[in-house]
Amino acid sequence: MTRRDLLKSAAGTAALASLLQADSDTALPGIPHFAPTAKRVIYLFQSGAPSQIDLFDHKPALAALRAKELPDSVRQGQRLTGMTATQASFPVAPSLFTFAQYGQSGAPVSELMPHTARVVDDLCFIKSMNTEQINHDPAVTFCQTGFQLAGRPSIGSWLAYGLGSENKELPAFVVMISQGSGNMSDQPLYDRLWGSGFLPSKYQGVKFRAGNDPVLYLSNPPGVDPAMRRRYLDDLAQLNDVNLREFNDPEISTRISQYEMAYKMQTSVPELTDLSKESEQTFNLYGPDARRPGTFAANCLLARRLAERGVRFIQLFHRGWDQHTNLPKQIRGQAKDTDQASAALITDLKQRGLLKDTLVVWGGEFGRTVYSQGKLTADDYGRDHHPRAFTIWLSGGGVKPGLTHGESDDFSYNIVRDPVDVHDLHATILRTLGIDHTKLTFKFQGRHFRLTDVKGRAVTEVLS
Amino acid sequence: MSNGIVLAASAWLLTCAASGQTVGFNQDIRPILSDRCYTCHGPSSTTRQSKLRLDLEPPASARAEILRRISLGDKPGHMPAVGPPLTDREINLIKTWLDQGAVWEKHWSFNPPKRQPVPSGANAIDFFVNARLQREGLHPSPQADKPALLRRVTFDLTGLPPTPEELDAFLADSSPAAYEKVVNRLLASPRYGERMAARWLDAARYADTNGYQTDGERYMWRWRDWVIDAFNNNKPYDQFAVEQLAGDLLPNATLEQRIATGFNRNHRGNGEGGIVPEEYAAEYVMDRVDTTSTVFLGLTVGCARCHDHKYDPIKQREYYQLFAYFNNIPERGNAQKYGNSPPLIKAPTSAEQAGLLRLDTAIAAAEKKFSPGAGQPAWEAKLPPDTDWFSHRQLDPANTGDFGFLDRFTLAARVNASAPDGGIFTRMKDDTDGPGYQVLLKDGKIHVNLVLRWLDDAIRVETRDALELNRPHHIAVTWDGSRYAEGVRVYIDGAPQPMKVNLDQMNQNFAVPEPLRIGVGLKGQVTDVRVYKTNLPPAEIQVLAVPENLNRIAALPPAQRTPAQRDKIHRAWLDGFPEWISILDLREQRERFYDGISTVMVMQEQPAPRETFLLQRGAYDHPGEKVTRGVPAALPPLPPDAPNNRLGLARWIVDPQNPLTARVAVNRYWQMYFGAGIVKTVEDFGSQGEWPVNPELLDWLATEFIRTGWNVKAMQKTIVMSATYRQTSKATPELLQRDPENRLLARGPRFRLPAEAVRDQALAVSGLLVEKVGGPSVKPYQPAGLWKELSGAEDYKQDHGDALYRRSLYTFWKRASPPPMMAGFDAAGREACTVRETRTNTPLQALDLMNDVTFVEASRGLAQKIMKAQKIMQNGGLDYGFRAATSRLPTDRERAILMSAYNYNLDRFQTDPDAALKLLGQGESPRDPSLDTKQLAAWTNVASLILNLDETVTRQ
Repeated sequence: MTRRDLLKSAAGTAALASLLQADSDTALPGIPHFAPTAKRVIYLFQSGAPSQIDLFDHKPALAALRAKELPDSVRQGQRLTGMTATQASFPVAPSLFTFAQYGQSGAPVSELMPHTARVVDDLCFIKSMNTEQINHDPAVTFCQTGFQLAGRPSIGSWLAYGLGSENKELPAFVVMISQGSGNMSDQPLYDRLWGSGFLPSKYQGVKFRAGNDPVLYLSNPPGVDPAMRRRYLDDLAQLNDVNLREFNDPEISTRISQYEMAYKMQTSVPELTDLSKESEQTFNLYGPDARRPGTFAANCLLARRLAERGVRFIQLFHRGWDQHTNLPKQIRGQAKDTDQASAALITDLKQRGLLKDTLVVWGGEFGRTVYSQGKLTADDYGRDHHPRAFTIWLSGGGVKPGLTHGESDDFSYNIVRDPVDVHDLHATILRTLGIDHTKLTFKFQGRHFRLTDVKGRAVTEVLS
Repeated sequence: MSNGIVLAASAWLLTCAASGQTVGFNQDIRPILSDRCYTCHGPSSTTRQSKLRLDLEPPASARAEILRRISLGDKPGHMPAVGPPLTDREINLIKTWLDQGAVWEKHWSFNPPKRQPVPSGANAIDFFVNARLQREGLHPSPQADKPALLRRVTFDLTGLPPTPEELDAFLADSSPAAYEKVVNRLLASPRYGERMAARWLDAARYADTNGYQTDGERYMWRWRDWVIDAFNNNKPYDQFAVEQLAGDLLPNATLEQRIATGFNRNHRGNGEGGIVPEEYAAEYVMDRVDTTSTVFLGLTVGCARCHDHKYDPIKQREYYQLFAYFNNIPERGNAQKYGNSPPLIKAPTSAEQAGLLRLDTAIAAAEKKFSPGAGQPAWEAKLPPDTDWFSHRQLDPANTGDFGFLDRFTLAARVNASAPDGGIFTRMKDDTDGPGYQVLLKDGKIHVNLVLRWLDDAIRVETRDALELNRPHHIAVTWDGSRYAEGVRVYIDGAPQPMKVNLDQMNQNFAVPEPLRIGVGLKGQVTDVRVYKTNLPPAEIQVLAVPENLNRIAALPPAQRTPAQRDKIHRAWLDGFPEWISILDLREQRERFYDGISTVMVMQEQPAPRETFLLQRGAYDHPGEKVTRGVPAALPPLPPDAPNNRLGLARWIVDPQNPLTARVAVNRYWQMYFGAGIVKTVEDFGSQGEWPVNPELLDWLATEFIRTGWNVKAMQKTIVMSATYRQTSKATPELLQRDPENRLLARGPRFRLPAEAVRDQALAVSGLLVEKVGGPSVKPYQPAGLWKELSGAEDYKQDHGDALYRRSLYTFWKRASPPPMMAGFDAAGREACTVRETRTNTPLQALDLMNDVTFVEASRGLAQKIMKAQKIMQNGGLDYGFRAATSRLPTDRERAILMSAYNYNLDRFQTDPDAALKLLGQGESPRDPSLDTKQLAAWTNVASLILNLDETVTRQ
């Protein structure tokens, strides 16, 4: 029996209409609101909060202030986390790492990120990011959902809901996680960070994992081969059709097609995660980690493959940036995990003509303090959470390359020019996809909710 | 990826309503005004843009202008100013309403329910449903056939399918009361309480972890079991509500009533290092306000946290007046990372209570029976020289001091210090601030530091007074495992010392794998070190501190002995009696037994009421005016005799005068049986909520609920006894087109089983289900690594044996990583209150049902039953298996497809017998070795087909 037969047997136009609807998961009416410059997003989320001072936000004047107390005029009595609020002193800790300017744009990058330094002319740095949250859980939740408490849909779910899917055999929203070599023991993640909140659960992110089952329960049980599965699905479709004829419930037709989809995923997902046909050149580009499943580099390479297949929102989480102590040691490892592959992804996408309609975002949930958490020594310091200024970069998808937007003060503490908050970032991401962030809404508990809550402004200055 | 169907909201229902002659304000007009106008012309003074208010009756003078402005399209001055113009239909409705005199009504749900008369002899539900159908020109469907009906009602009331025996019995019973007998049997089954509890746990955001960053384990299962018992004992809904909201404030509150208050402690608790505690203390209270309002009142009061409600008559000030009822709990914003956060109580189960009683009785009896006589003086006289004594009980054998924050312990020694600084006991690296613990002298004071992180995760205390130098003192430190600074006691020479608390913020275990060091950096002597695995009581510390040995004490005339000396030599003497030893054994046993009893977090009032302030923009650090407890003015006042506290609030909620409580409750029940509420927005009865599809029916059910004394079982029975409920769910194409969502109920309800029932059914029909009501949560199969990859910390540790086969209600619920099967089948996330049931239809569900070991093992279990049935009756196996899952026999066509599938699989497994063994090796339950493996494997795949049928995972 073919799907067409099933359609014929599905009695009633409602059933037919629904079945068609199930097959064409398209954008909501009215979308796009603007001409989109990006079709998809790859969000390289740096979980734990990278130190902007040691990577991109170069503050040469700090050298002279080393170990001096952070002036009250800078802190302005702002709240600190409970981890350092009772610390006796707040000694300024300049970065131990040397910076140089790169590319035509002359963007400063520290020695920790040599590969990123080579692609700066493709990047747009935002050095005036800020958030209201000072602890990981609320801050990551805020970045993911536009609200600090759990319960709202994640950005990928909003996009799956608003834009639908380009690929009928893969989820619209895919998540991959890797553990960095920095802080191994902190900052857990939570499934709800890619959850659908009050949106239907079909919009939740699907986690791709390293190993035999990239998607949960993807593999047939031992002893069942693909031929048996094919036959099984044919039998199941016929059996379900018997009941469909009697009850006329369109849900039955949907179930039949979802089993077909599951079968397709059993082929399309392993094909996607099989890197054996990638060239030597590609592996050289992404670095040796790319051959180890589950690493950030391998996930970056998978992200490109997902982008090629039209997956709408691809989100990587890389853990280990929460470096309260031993930061110089931890950040070296962490930068090594991420630098080459992040830069490789930009290069690779560009070479394949995908960067022009793929927006890549690199950044964490907040920044880190200029003052040392714990003892400042000649070669060691720690940095606490800092929400008031941090750096992210964007690339591709209609973002102006080679630009630096916004500026922090000499202590990388407060913003002095063009502040961008998390809602603004969300509005900007949506804007590249052709969405007016005030118009992508969902009614729940009587309210028309949106990703940007009641705020947000698309930072059009960074868009071409 | 293609996704499941989301049926478009059926706007036609509203259209039908509009086709009536009279336009109803609440039904037709308020939804438009609320959604499109109230932000600027509504109850919120902060967002209101104009003097014209449309949440109140508009003045006659404004009516023409309203009509003009909404008809402007996109010309200047158009209204609504924001968003698309109103549709023609909406404009017509408003015009008709204005023409008809613009009759304004209070929002419907704030008026008391009105009970309409029902003709005598008629079933009220059917009367109201049919009245609506008649208006629509529709007719009810005939009753479902008996097997379908039995399966439907058995799932709906117990969450499990009927057994073949139950089906046989029902089919054989041709009496008119056959169905009612079944309903009574199901309502009396303990499975009923489990089924009803499942939805309540969603509403009450119950979970086994604390949520937020670390998401450590907590223990609220005693509260969960209270809920199951409450349903099974048919606790009236008003008591059910009062006990959960304020059981602790009831006169002579019982243990069970206090456990019930765990309802409002099920919210998440933030134990992340570095949080600002005040921020989260406020969040917890807000969660209670939001959950309580949603669950009991169907109101989205949370909208008034930051500003006056934009749609409903709830002022921001009133939000904080509700907040004040829940703001008086002795709690902290920084919750424990692992375990329960105070206030908490020991919550022994009835078996544990019996166990404690047994031990106490045994101890009392042994103490009473024990009479050592008057032999002590004679014994003293015969003491060998140089005899000393101290208690050996619960000594830490190797003196390693390997203790953590939940362990009771005692550290004791004699110290003669010649300088005021230095270590006495340290179990942390030298010259560090931890982690670990230390007892040290600093400026002569005795400091006790139990440290994970010095600044924000530690208990640090010191004695008020300095130790006298250059003379020996006995020093003892005890820790009771309570996690609070008051749990540290310091004794000098047996005397408890007044303490100064430097930090009282312990969140995590301070245990480290360091050796116990003694006297690090101390000038002087440390001798007589004793380490106990218990916190010795003061009397025993005093005995330990006595420096004189037994001979010295014996040499003193009894009258000259200090009480501690008397106690010491007396205990030493008693140690020679086996009866005394067994008393000590019993006491120790009781201590261990008591320590093993689970706690539960509860509500409790602190003596001095905490002040509450309106929080500007909802921010904890922007307090505004002070507010006092009170209920929203738009609702009736507190009952005159109710105290103005949580108990009064609870009584107000269940007061029959409250227009919302009964409606909201019955509407949620309705959703369980029909897939959607009479008000589909079960969480919102405010003006943005849906107009009830059948207001008369909702009001009748609400008044009936109150009339019967909030009888929960009676209400379930009323619903499932109706002909409306019993209709067949077969739909004609015409009916599907008319009412795709089946809101009018011209046919029976058909929808996919809830997540837990999908799994429970598989366990039940395969014979794997282990039924036991209550107890700690269990960890069935889950793919490896899911927890670890999120946190790098400990992975899920799957249970074995019976724990794999308990009902899904008991599955361990980790908020950061919910059981994947449950999450895939639309279970509520348990982060926050969820009352709306949702269902999607996805390929991931298909993968789970086909490939998850849970369902593969269940298929094998069902296959074994099929093969046994096959032996009893020729070719009876397939029929048995199909019927076990669907409650009906397969049709000839179905039988043919399944038999062909069997033959195909048998052929494949005969060719590849190893494949059969691999398939049969799935799951930990033993395989029946008497069955042929190729046949069993073939039947396993057939059974999997049966378990994957749409019909099987649906109640139809």
